[in-house]
Amino acid sequence: MSTATHSQGMFGLALRRFRRHRLALGSAAALVALAVLAVAAPLVEAALGVDSSVVDLFNRFAPATAAHPLGTDELGRDVLVRLLYGGRVSLLVGLVTALVAAVIGTIVGLIAGFYGGRVDGLLMRFTDGVIALPLLPLLIVLAALDLEKVGLPAAFVQSENVSLYRIIAIVALVGWTTVARLVRGAALTLREADFVLAAHAQGAGALRIMAVHILPNLVSPIIVATTLSVGSVILLESVLSFLGLGIQPPIPSWGNLLTNAQELIWTAPALAFYPGILIFVTVIAFNFLGDGLQDALDPKAMEGR
Amino acid sequence: MTAGPAPEAPLLEVRGLVKHFPAGGGGLFAADTGTVRAVDGVSFRLGRGETLALVGESGCGKTTLARTVALLYAPTAGSVRFQGRELTGLGRRDLKPARRRIQMIFQDPYSSLNPRLPVGAIIAEPLVIHGLGGRAERRDRVATLARQVGLGAADMDRYPHQFSGGQRQRIAIARALAVEPSLVIADEPVSALDVSIQSQVLNLMRDLQAAHGLAYLFISHDLAVVRHFADRVAVMYLGRIVEEAPADALFANPRHPYTRALIAAQPVVGRGKRRPGDVLRGDIPSPLRPPPGCAFHPRCPLAQDICRQSAPALEAAGGEAGHRAACHFKDEAAP
Amino acid sequence: MTRFLATRVAQSVIVLALMSFAIYALIGLMPGDPIDLMISADPKMTPEDAARLRELYGVDKPVVERYANWLMAALGGDLGYSRLYAAPVLDVLLPALGNTLILLGLTLVLSLAIGLPAGVVAALRPYSRTDYAINLFAFAGISVPAFWLGLLLIIVFAVILGVLPAGGTETVGGAGFWDQAKYLVLPVANLTLASVGGHTRYMRAAMMETLRQDYIRTARAKGAGRARVVLGHALRNAMIPVVTIIALQFGYLFSGALITETIFAYPGMGKLIFDSIMGNDFNLALVALLFATLVTLIGNLLADVTYAWLDPRITYR
Repeated sequence: MSTATHSQGMFGLALRRFRRHRLALGSAAALVALAVLAVAAPLVEAALGVDSSVVDLFNRFAPATAAHPLGTDELGRDVLVRLLYGGRVSLLVGLVTALVAAVIGTIVGLIAGFYGGRVDGLLMRFTDGVIALPLLPLLIVLAALDLEKVGLPAAFVQSENVSLYRIIAIVALVGWTTVARLVRGAALTLREADFVLAAHAQGAGALRIMAVHILPNLVSPIIVATTLSVGSVILLESVLSFLGLGIQPPIPSWGNLLTNAQELIWTAPALAFYPGILIFVTVIAFNFLGDGLQDALDPKAMEGR
Repeated sequence: MTAGPAPEAPLLEVRGLVKHFPAGGGGLFAADTGTVRAVDGVSFRLGRGETLALVGESGCGKTTLARTVALLYAPTAGSVRFQGRELTGLGRRDLKPARRRIQMIFQDPYSSLNPRLPVGAIIAEPLVIHGLGGRAERRDRVATLARQVGLGAADMDRYPHQFSGGQRQRIAIARALAVEPSLVIADEPVSALDVSIQSQVLNLMRDLQAAHGLAYLFISHDLAVVRHFADRVAVMYLGRIVEEAPADALFANPRHPYTRALIAAQPVVGRGKRRPGDVLRGDIPSPLRPPPGCAFHPRCPLAQDICRQSAPALEAAGGEAGHRAACHFKDEAAP
Repeated sequence: MTRFLATRVAQSVIVLALMSFAIYALIGLMPGDPIDLMISADPKMTPEDAARLRELYGVDKPVVERYANWLMAALGGDLGYSRLYAAPVLDVLLPALGNTLILLGLTLVLSLAIGLPAGVVAALRPYSRTDYAINLFAFAGISVPAFWLGLLLIIVFAVILGVLPAGGTETVGGAGFWDQAKYLVLPVANLTLASVGGHTRYMRAAMMETLRQDYIRTARAKGAGRARVVLGHALRNAMIPVVTIIALQFGYLFSGALITETIFAYPGMGKLIFDSIMGNDFNLALVALLFATLVTLIGNLLADVTYAWLDPRITYR
């Protein structure tokens, strides 16, 4: 086997395997479509000729019409446009949080996997501990903290976007475990690789070996784990926002759109349907995508099925 | 240097080197199931510009010995002196000057090169780690090295997976030579390559040895390669050296029955490869529980009661200078 | 075995102690403090009274000292008084804990009874239509927002069909076993649907891994029947990782209980924790959170013991 085709073969195989995952492919398409729509929310708003920030009490709970494809809410605002604006926030918060969590998880997993032994045992026990905790109750405590008492400047605490930063911080604080475990597993294997031994034999320091030799070879597990954790991060964000502890109105998010809807389930049950189905579709799409990527990128899964 | 080495001191002197590994997975609940005696008391010397080959079946401890000599593993006991300086027990910083002079070439050129680095960066890495030269100097040095091992300047921006096994081993050799070592430890450097490529790489290694005055610690299981490449040969069995001699003497007059079995097991044209196990009785015993007395006695055609009771020492044999064997019957005629 | 158990119990106690301090410190960082709340509740209180109360409760002392005082009192059996329910904390907590254990117990039994067989069936015919369908449901289960699923269940069964109650534990005046059971259907269904997907995926993965092992192939090659191989050899080994993961999920179940109980107005620990935090009932929140942690730790401990019991390779020292 000539090596030029060998590498193409590897990449091609990964691509073919990924393509075979029709669900993953469809999920990727759905996510792109959702993201484009969310980004284009102002354009949709203009195209429909509505203003989602204006309250119109004469037009509450309107049924679906050409101007309001999904009707209006309890304050007469267009549901579709509100959903798209909520999607902007939910998707952005989900992605940013997953990235922050991935950074934390990568650092923990890398250190555990590189050093192995006692360090590994300690860090993984800690990770297991975090996974085992009753997370949601603890997150609620964290979300309810008085940030001024924590020592943050008042100007920051009173700023409009503080609920965004807060939710990103606390969800990332518990969302890193998936990445940490996958990265640790891959790093444990890599640390035995000959090129890592070769670097040790040169007298390279731990930081250099981790940064130059191990981290760049962990790209696939990091991508897979991050994709998989976006789903759980969005779920956590939405439930906290739903409980009134996450993203605060007037910033709309899929989670806090459901808070109002709960009180209206007897009058307007449809309002409770839309935001939830969007969360559901987004989360399941990220999970399918992560699963497909795992199959496509994991060399262990390469051997025939 | 005021306290320099004595003029006759060898480049590398290994004395009583021992490396044991704890057996078992080492998991949270795993019981202590014993110790693997991978290297169990090995001594040898290696002079400047000399090639010493270590041969033995897989599992005899060759690779562990190579890695312990390179201080990749902390030795359990014993001493490694390089250019007169003791290396065991040194910290990473204190070891660094010696690490520059001792370089390694690994068996599998597919796993010894970082797949995410371009070849130029791989060859330049030792220069970076040892802080040698500026950016431009490094580039020139890499280009020179590439030319020496038969690679083109255009290859430096490509990645390892774009090269064949033989080319990859050339890259590994260039990396080893970058910091002007005096000792290269080569762990089966050609056994993963096609036979036609093997001789190219071996010839390259020999040319570079002449040009740079390198000493090789050459690990191999292939006696045919060793015969043509090495000045001296040491035969390992279960973590110990059982016979050591100048290459010619070893092949002409092997004194240890294990060496004779290895030589007899060499492939003969038209009959394919035979393993030593086809000539010897039984398998290699587990290094977890080496047999008492001479470790080779369960497989040895000459074994007597004394072999089961006492381990023979490595002593002069065969009459030639530097020829030693560890066998109670080393001075008897071969059967 | 005794020594192994003792070590794990000791570890759990240490974790609990650390968590109690962390939670105590965190709760001190929540908005308002008990004295402020008393002041707002009692307009006749003077600043001097407030200062005396602060002194009495030790609010101005460093957190470590306050924690030590609280801990000594708690160990002496005094867990404090709930502001929200105007009753000793323990009197509020124990009935709620009972309710939650009923909810979690039913959910666990039901979701294992569905998830484990589904996972085994999927693993026996990987990449078949059946496997595909089971996988799809499992993915849906782990991806659905539990609180939204709860809302949907209420909308369908309480609002549209009107066959089941939307929340609570029993009809006013109409007590009785069957009446209470009706109130459990939706919460249990909600929590089961949200957790069965994970169980299915774990079981499927563990079973596939086991079926790939050599000894299973050997057993098959020796002519052991398919059912015998699956039930006799593979299942026991596949259960080992599954049991561990499920017991480790105890904390996750608690999170689910919080959501479900809040939505269905079910008076369990989850709702209690949520209400006490939102209502600034510090004493209750603290003890309730610690109880949740304690139950989770006991779940983890059970996981370890079961694991040790299932896996003959483990030796105890």
